Amino acid sequence: MKDRIIPEFLRKYWINYLWGAIFLFLGVYIATLSPKYLGTIIDLLKAPIIDKGQVFNYIGLIILTALGVFATRYVWRYFIMGNARNMECFLRMEMLRHLQKMSVNFYNARKTGDLMAFAVNDIGAVRMSFGPGVALILNGLGTSLLSVFSMVRIVHPKLTVFAMLPIPIIIFVMIRMGTTIRNRFRLVQKNFASISDRINENISGIRVTKTYVQEDDEVSRFDILNNQMKQSNLDLIRVSSLMGPLIQLFFGICFMINLIYGSSLVKAHEITLGDFVAFNGYLTMIMWPVISIGRIINVFQRGMASYRRLEEIFSVKPEILDGAASNPEEEQEKLEGSLEIRNLSFAYPGHSEYALKDINIKLEKGQILGIIGRTGSGKTTLVNLLLKLYNVEPGKILIDGRDINDYSLKTLRENIGYVPQDNFLFSATIQDNIRYFSDQFSDDEIEDASKISMIYDNIMEFPARFDTRVGERGVNLSGGQKQRISIARAVIKKPAIYILDDALSAVDTQTEEAILNNLKEEMEGHTGIIIAHRISALRHADEIIVLDHGRIEERGSHEELIKKDGLYHELFREQYGIETRESWEDEE
Amino acid sequence: MKNNSLMRLLKRALPYWKIILLCMLCVLLVNMAELYKPLIMERVIDDFLIGSKPERGLYSITGMGIIYLLLIAVSSGLTVFQVNAINHVGQSIVTDLRRTVFSHIQRMPLSVLDKYSSGRLITRATNDVEALSELFTDVIIDLFRDVFLLAGIIIIMLSLDIQLALIGFTVIPFIALITNIIKKKMKANFIAIKSLTGRINGFFAENIAGMKLVQIFNMQKDKENEFQVLNNKYYAASLTRLKLNSILRPSIEIFNTLAIALLVWYGMGRIINRSLDLGVLYAFTNYIKQFFAPINDLAEKYNTIQSAVVSADRVYELLDQKDSLEDYDSGIQVGRLEGSIEFKNVWFAYNEGEWVLKDVSFRIEKGQTAAFVGATGSGKTTIINLISRFYQVQKGEILIDGININDINLRDLRRNISVVLQDVFLYSGSIRDNITLNTPMSEEEVQRALELSCADTFIQELPNKLDEPVSERGSTFSAGQRQLLAFARTIAHDPSIFVLDEATANIDTKTEKLIQKSIENVSTGRTTLIVAHRLSTIRHADVIFIIRKGRIVEKGNHETLMELGGYYSRLNAV
Repeated sequence: MKDRIIPEFLRKYWINYLWGAIFLFLGVYIATLSPKYLGTIIDLLKAPIIDKGQVFNYIGLIILTALGVFATRYVWRYFIMGNARNMECFLRMEMLRHLQKMSVNFYNARKTGDLMAFAVNDIGAVRMSFGPGVALILNGLGTSLLSVFSMVRIVHPKLTVFAMLPIPIIIFVMIRMGTTIRNRFRLVQKNFASISDRINENISGIRVTKTYVQEDDEVSRFDILNNQMKQSNLDLIRVSSLMGPLIQLFFGICFMINLIYGSSLVKAHEITLGDFVAFNGYLTMIMWPVISIGRIINVFQRGMASYRRLEEIFSVKPEILDGAASNPEEEQEKLEGSLEIRNLSFAYPGHSEYALKDINIKLEKGQILGIIGRTGSGKTTLVNLLLKLYNVEPGKILIDGRDINDYSLKTLRENIGYVPQDNFLFSATIQDNIRYFSDQFSDDEIEDASKISMIYDNIMEFPARFDTRVGERGVNLSGGQKQRISIARAVIKKPAIYILDDALSAVDTQTEEAILNNLKEEMEGHTGIIIAHRISALRHADEIIVLDHGRIEERGSHEELIKKDGLYHELFREQYGIETRESWEDEE
Repeated sequence: MKNNSLMRLLKRALPYWKIILLCMLCVLLVNMAELYKPLIMERVIDDFLIGSKPERGLYSITGMGIIYLLLIAVSSGLTVFQVNAINHVGQSIVTDLRRTVFSHIQRMPLSVLDKYSSGRLITRATNDVEALSELFTDVIIDLFRDVFLLAGIIIIMLSLDIQLALIGFTVIPFIALITNIIKKKMKANFIAIKSLTGRINGFFAENIAGMKLVQIFNMQKDKENEFQVLNNKYYAASLTRLKLNSILRPSIEIFNTLAIALLVWYGMGRIINRSLDLGVLYAFTNYIKQFFAPINDLAEKYNTIQSAVVSADRVYELLDQKDSLEDYDSGIQVGRLEGSIEFKNVWFAYNEGEWVLKDVSFRIEKGQTAAFVGATGSGKTTIINLISRFYQVQKGEILIDGININDINLRDLRRNISVVLQDVFLYSGSIRDNITLNTPMSEEEVQRALELSCADTFIQELPNKLDEPVSERGSTFSAGQRQLLAFARTIAHDPSIFVLDEATANIDTKTEKLIQKSIENVSTGRTTLIVAHRLSTIRHADVIFIIRKGRIVEKGNHETLMELGGYYSRLNAV
């Protein structure tokens, strides 16, 4: 339904273009009167006895046409350009809405930069087509048609034909040269982008550069790009500098033809001196639309390419939808949190091998499940499915005994407190990051959540405390601090199910212990899933499953698993060395 | 300040004064041709069309036509030459400036770099410099051209007919007034739109990056509302811009027409009493039209100058931070250091008054391995930052081989120290480039480095082995693999001091084992400092420092610290 988003907009607002076009043509018509009036004045002045009253009339008319052009121009610009601005904002809003419905899978396949380009460049280019582009075409067509018409009708048909002879050549040259210019311009842009990338890379790696004293080498590497940039710019200039003078030259021929042939017509009394002057005026009027041909082609080429890209992106259907049997209105808001996974196998879209195979888990309300395994064993995949970031076959995952697909996404996700692996924070205040921009939490709740996640003391040390901004324009937080804020964000929801996806990896072991102890209390009566690389993070788990290549390789309590001498034992040995085994067991 | 940076920029054009002068000469000639064109018309009308003077040779309608075309041809040629020449100058200056900015960034110390976001630095070297290129290519010559054209028109008009000229000029003050008022509004609007665009882009970038969270935490509606506010503001601002644009240019046209009307009205009386030729009046209407073109143009250049001034200020603000630049030339040349390290009562703060290290003293003998252990934010990473002189200590001193590191030539100091950070950075290029880093190195040396660092196993599996390209900062390699490559890099460059910030997360245990082995190999025969997170790493250290809140609270080896029964022994009890 959303795939024809621009036509939909145009259907709604086409009337603006109609009004715009009407006023534009009106304006053009008024403008073409002006040279004729000036010509008439010349003729009046040339007469042996000057009719002053008539001259005054025409002076008045010239002023009126100028005012008319001004007024109509204001109106049509408002309709056409304003409509395009409206379209721009409309598209950007729709883009956001659309992006918000897209699945993780969609984002995995695309770079942030590319998606940004849709929202910024492509929408901008479409606006240029539907605003200035449309205006240039209408104005150009109107002006040249009416001017030529006036030349033929008012002045002299044959003179018109002769004087216009060079114009097809100009148009041909402009179109040919336009292509070359566009290609060279693209090269300039490409070089510009690689310079940006180069600097970006350099700044990210500045420590390494400094450590290995690579500064001079970096400058030489930069020089290569820098000189390419210069060269491509000069190549572009070499062609583009021809454009203006060539147009001048060809129009010069037009004016020369009028000068020679037109004058002879005046002398032969076929046309008046005023006609001759008016003709010059019309030629000048035609110049402008011809010059803008290059720009029109440019604007529309880019606009249409962007239009197609936008249509394509808008036509991507959301993959993950509310379950068919779900009814957000009727659902109870709080789930109990018991969880069952039955024979779950899963392969990522477009992949043949299974990321998860035959997973069976049963978790009662209040139990804590620990998941451990090497990188790529399927831990995060499992979490992605629980959050329904990918589609899940019916009957495989049940929450409170009901299929996950029978819940709305909102209810499902509202009841899960998720702490992601990558600790992403919005550039907003710490407070907003913890209560995730919703108003339903009090200051006390925010404080409590931050105490549980052991970030409270850090926050109190910041100048603006909870109102401290994070990110680009605010304080820089360490990885561990970000993780703890992410934990607070999950805790504040008091969700039915906690999911911690390697959420303590960047905090030191002591803080980890403190947080885990706090969480144990907090999770009393809630279901929990803790994924970790470090065995130490799983100490409170009722059951631990060991994932390997998407299968549950081993399961049981810590003690049971240690005795098995399998993968878990191996992981344990790697992390602690065999000799610490006793101290661990002592503590348990 | 503002004019200052603009003047300094213009000074960069001085070496090119000959070309610039030549360009100005071209512009002058083109201007003259431009000014002469209406006079040809005037001649044709007055001498041949109204009067009936005899046509002889070039003094004829055809002759005038040919002169007219020749003038245009010559001025077109001159224009092409001039545009190319001036762009050559502009591009040379800008390329040079871009290089200066880039080199400058290379020399900036981390303490200053930390304060800049990478986006800002990129903007300085790209967009800001680009904005300046227009200053050289367009503004300088165009200003000259417009001013001379204007002066030329005024002179010709005055010499043709003083009274008519003065009447034509009466509208100028009105135009100046209107332009001034609208330009002021446009500037405010321009700034508003720029800031809104930045915020909209930022909003999208952030929400795309964090979309998973937005969805998981059901923030869609809130984010939409947040954006709606931004979007509406932007729409309003862009409409204002539209309206201002609709008024500015056309209003000049109106005054243009008014001027012509005035001329005709006044000229009429004089034509009646034969004191004015009709051709002159017609030429005047042409000059009046030409008169407003340079004014229009000057007004348009105003924007370019405006943004050039902003960019120039920003570029010079960066380039002016000369005091803090790292100095690679002075200092004691040391060659290869032995590698003993001593901190003597070191105090350090990133921000004034917030001490991160408080009175830290310790000594590491050459060849020893030292582990630094402590909570996040305790200051352990800071210690390793200081050794490479990435930051300056405020109190106390750091000695390597008994020499204060501030006295050692910076280049030599850093060549002797290899730092591997948690998140390993790889340059785009090949794996080989990343190991040799432009230093000439034999194949054996590279191979040896790979073997010792245990990186050879995974490199053997790559299709192009050592020449496998590294794309997007090594994102195709796992964190563990990147770390192994960093170790290979270290071994290949054979520093006397090896500094490691041990990675904490997301390394699978198999690679983890390789890393442990690799660290052992790298640290052999080198003074090694590790910010450690693994007990196994710590246990192998000759000396362990426990850092709490910027102070060393315990030091010793594993055994002595276990006996001590302090923080370290508790840590081990986990």
